[in-house]
Parts: sequence; structure tokens; C-alpha cells
Amino acid sequence: MHFLFPVFKWADGTWLGETIRASRIYFPIIETFHLLALTILFGAVIVLNLRLCRVIMKNQPVQQVAEDLSPWAFWSLVVILTSGFMLFTSEAMKCYASKPFQVKMVFLFSALIFHFTVHRRATRSDREPTLPWGSFVGGVNVLLWLGVGLGGRGIGFL
Amino acid sequence: MSDVPAVIQWLQNSEIGTGIRESVWTFPLVETTHVLALALSVGVLIWFDLRLLGWGMKHTPVSQVHKQVMPLAGIGFIVMFISGLLLFWSEAEKCYLSGFFRAKVLFLVLAGVNAAVFEFTTKKSIEEWDKYPVPPPKARIAGLFSILSWAAVIIAGRATAYNLF
Repeated sequence: MHFLFPVFKWADGTWLGETIRASRIYFPIIETFHLLALTILFGAVIVLNLRLCRVIMKNQPVQQVAEDLSPWAFWSLVVILTSGFMLFTSEAMKCYASKPFQVKMVFLFSALIFHFTVHRRATRSDREPTLPWGSFVGGVNVLLWLGVGLGGRGIGFL
Repeated sequence: MSDVPAVIQWLQNSEIGTGIRESVWTFPLVETTHVLALALSVGVLIWFDLRLLGWGMKHTPVSQVHKQVMPLAGIGFIVMFISGLLLFWSEAEKCYLSGFFRAKVLFLVLAGVNAAVFEFTTKKSIEEWDKYPVPPPKARIAGLFSILSWAAVIIAGRATAYNLF
């Protein structure tokens, strides 16, 4: 048994999880919000990182593109994490046994940490990152979020 | 199922349709491609719509956002459309009978008409809009309509897969 098992057990027994499980439509509705917010975040990630790689928006400073996108990206992330947590409580035991869920969580925490440290430093400084460094940071960031998305889709299938 | 047109039954029972439906990996792979392409095309398109509304990317001229973002949205749309056709092929009967799927097609057509009107008429004066922080009402309406119709496509598409009703 994994040392995190009590967390899954607790989530599974919460009022929230039980309420969502008991209804046929709560889960699909919450999932739809999860998906809509994810679309917005994914678009922001693509646009910002293509700018870092100097593929698009070359006339706009990286910092400015990042600042323009950030409120939308931030609030969509809030919706994604909230709805994701709700979905998790409703099927925590399934998630515990799911390999794709484990993969997704590893990618999620890596993506969040990378996003708020290395990536933030590259996109929020007055000085434009060099092309190799910008491309590296942008590429890693896209791949991490892609891993989150693929893992998430896998939960439903495997 | 007698109320399903022959062509739908034929699609569903064709070699390709059956192959996609019954293979362990093909359906999930096509479906995953569909969702990723959707996030790419609608995800970047939304930034242009938000720019049209004056709600996002305010520091970048409208014509710039259009030029930079639309090719990406186009690539995503092509992948999404092809993968969507394959999914339909494999589940033609279910889709045909689903009210959500019919709604999805309707919203898709609305989104398409809106995009066509914008690209062929409204857009003509796009260079003019660069002078102002917020584009004219006709452009804002197009942006809002695009966001709403695509959100409806996603919601109806997700509901098709759940097969609720």
C-alpha cells in the first residue's frame, strides 16, 4: 500500500465525493468546466511558449505577452484545479489504482513547479531570454502540460 | 435499428468504422488527438476572440494577433476535423441518434458561418482597428459569438460522449 493511500481514502469518503457520485449529471457538468478551462490554459501555454521560441508575436516583448495572458491563464488554472479536485474526490479509489492518474500527477506537479519558477523567470524579466534558452524553457513547459493532458485522457480509457 | 438511414449503418459497419471502434488503441488515440487538436485550435482562437472584444492581449494590435494566431488555429482545426470524422465513422449510429451530437453539428455550422462572415467581410477594415484599443462593435460581436459557439460545440461534444439521454 502506498504511503499516500490515506489521502485517497479520505477523499473518497468526503461529502463532496459522495454527492458527485450519487448524481448522474454532476460529474459530466464538472468535467465540462474542467475541459473548457483547460482549453483556455492550453491556448495560453501554446501562444506564450511559441513566443519564447520566437515563432510568433516576435514584435511583442515576451514580458508583455506573458502579462497579457497571465490573468486568463491564472483563473483558468484555478477552475481546472478546483474542478479537478472535485472529480478526484468522486473517484479517488479508481484514481489510486490508475497508472495514468499517477503519470498525470507527476506531470502536473512538475509543470506547476516549472511554471512558477524557471518559466516565470524567463518570461517576466526585462531582458529577453536568448533563443536557445527560451526555446528550451518553452519546449519543456509545453511537454509538461502535454503530459498532464495525455495522462488525464488516459484515466478515462485505461 | 430501422430509423437509422442506410448510409449511417453502412458507415458504422464498414471495415474502417468497425476497425476503429473495436481496436484497443485506435479509438483512444484518435480521441486523444481530437481533444488535443481541439485545445490547440479553440485555445489559440479564443485569444484572438478576446482581443476582438478588447478583453485580452490589449498591447498587441488586432491585425498582428490575427496574423500570428490564425494559422495555428487552422492547423488545429484540420487535425480536429479529420480525427472527428474518424470518430463519427466508428460511432455513426450513436452520433446520429444523439441529440447532443446534432446540437454539436448545429453549433459547429454557426461557428463556421460566423468565421466565414468575419474573414470575408468584417475583416476588411482590420488595419483600421489597430489605431484603437477596442475594435468596432461588429468585430466585438464576431468575437463574442465565436467564443459562445465554440464553447457550445465543446459542451455538446462532451455530452455526446457521456451518452446521457
